[in-house]
Amino acid sequence: MLSPNPMAAEPTELIRALRQADSPMGLLLATRQLAEACHPGAAPSLVEVLGFNNPGAAVAAVDGLIALGEQAVEPLLANLDDHNYGARAWAVRALAGIGDVRGLELLESALACDIGPSVRRAAARGLGQLRLDALPRSEQTRLRQRCLDALLAGGGDGEWVVRYAVAVGLEQLLLGMDRAEPGHRSGLKALQELAGEPGDDTPVVRLRAGLALSRLAGGAGG
Amino acid sequence: MIAAAEPIEPAPSAGAPIDEAEALRRLRQNEDQSAQYYAAWWLGRMRSRNPEAITLLCQALGQRQPRQAEAGVEHNAVARNAARALGKLGQAEAIPHLLQALDDPDDGLREAAARSLGELRAMEAVPVLCTRLASGPDVAGAPQTASSRLQEPCEAMLEALGEIGLAEPRLLAVIESFVAHERPLIRSAACRALLQLTDDSHWGQQLLALLEHPQLQVRRAALMDLGAAGWRPALEPIRRTLAENSLKLMALRGLVENPAGPHATRLDEETTALLAVMDELL
Repeated sequence: MLSPNPMAAEPTELIRALRQADSPMGLLLATRQLAEACHPGAAPSLVEVLGFNNPGAAVAAVDGLIALGEQAVEPLLANLDDHNYGARAWAVRALAGIGDVRGLELLESALACDIGPSVRRAAARGLGQLRLDALPRSEQTRLRQRCLDALLAGGGDGEWVVRYAVAVGLEQLLLGMDRAEPGHRSGLKALQELAGEPGDDTPVVRLRAGLALSRLAGGAGG
Repeated sequence: MIAAAEPIEPAPSAGAPIDEAEALRRLRQNEDQSAQYYAAWWLGRMRSRNPEAITLLCQALGQRQPRQAEAGVEHNAVARNAARALGKLGQAEAIPHLLQALDDPDDGLREAAARSLGELRAMEAVPVLCTRLASGPDVAGAPQTASSRLQEPCEAMLEALGEIGLAEPRLLAVIESFVAHERPLIRSAACRALLQLTDDSHWGQQLLALLEHPQLQVRRAALMDLGAAGWRPALEPIRRTLAENSLKLMALRGLVENPAGPHATRLDEETTALLAVMDELL
């Protein structure tokens, strides 16, 4: 596991190596090294890599951004690429992994209206895993309700993979919720609609929603 | 299988929301071919149950028009889209019409018809597909002059044979000849069909080798082919290969839903492990 290292010198050399990479494999290796430096100064360059259409490098960049945690949130939010849904998907994935509440608005709008299914699915997953522990209880409840509303609407998405991610998001959100909390029941109902008879059209979505229900019931589903 | 990085809905210019009656009206007229093209796609996408849809789509298979490269319109666009839609509607009445399209001089139409006959699991198509491919990679699989396309749409035809599922020795021999084709995408399609038809892990191993190919396009194809065959030993190699998560997720959906052999998909331990890998890729 990487951990942020703000005291180290600026990773200028590593950034230069990244800029000079002239093959997909070279880019991947340079990105890995920059990610491993775990320096806040690397964040803007790692965000840039998300738009290079190199999935291996993008995975390494996302890992690096998640390791930087809240220090990566501003660079991610400030550099969202409106014209490249591939890059947006990776950025939303990084925000989802960081779980910072500043990303909530973006996750909501991404799930509701991004044209890229990969962006919507990453947003749905992220809406289930925001880190709210440090906030006052009433604020936590209010934010969880916002996540829930977004996920309930996402359950009607036309793409199976987004509905799959909604099932995953709902599972995580409900696991962190008190059963007495107002949204708990509507979250369970949405999962039952995906899992039950007839349930979702796509078998893997039905299975995933069923797994979520068994976990929420305290079953041994995994 | 040709794999796009992400299935974004096609948005033809006539792409405003329409209903079934409107789609049928657009397909019935024949002055505006782009409206027919969109209507054919729409009826397939929406899995229309209207009997008139089948009739009109079968008629549309006979429609011909030149390619308009500048407008992005393919050769015989309406007929090709009609062939694609007929595969999605799941109605056996379409089979004789699609079989006829399999003898059309337009290889793009033969390609669409072959895929749809595969989706319809049309046993009747096996002899024609087998005959078209029998000359092997050097003839059926040779490139056309001045084009990157092959004499026969081999990939679609091989995939259709795998979907249809008739494992007859002569047929297997024809498919096996394509395992040596010079193009990795054709090799991938042949291995996929053989894996589906014989359940022999040798072909799965060949697909795993393609999953390590230096070209992204080949890795994508191998992902889709492993998913179509539902070959579960591919789980870890799929997780590791360098490709878009969207495609890995599609492949893993295939591993969950189409496992080779008699495993009905239930929430057992193996399936739960597959779902855990999918969760990580979201």
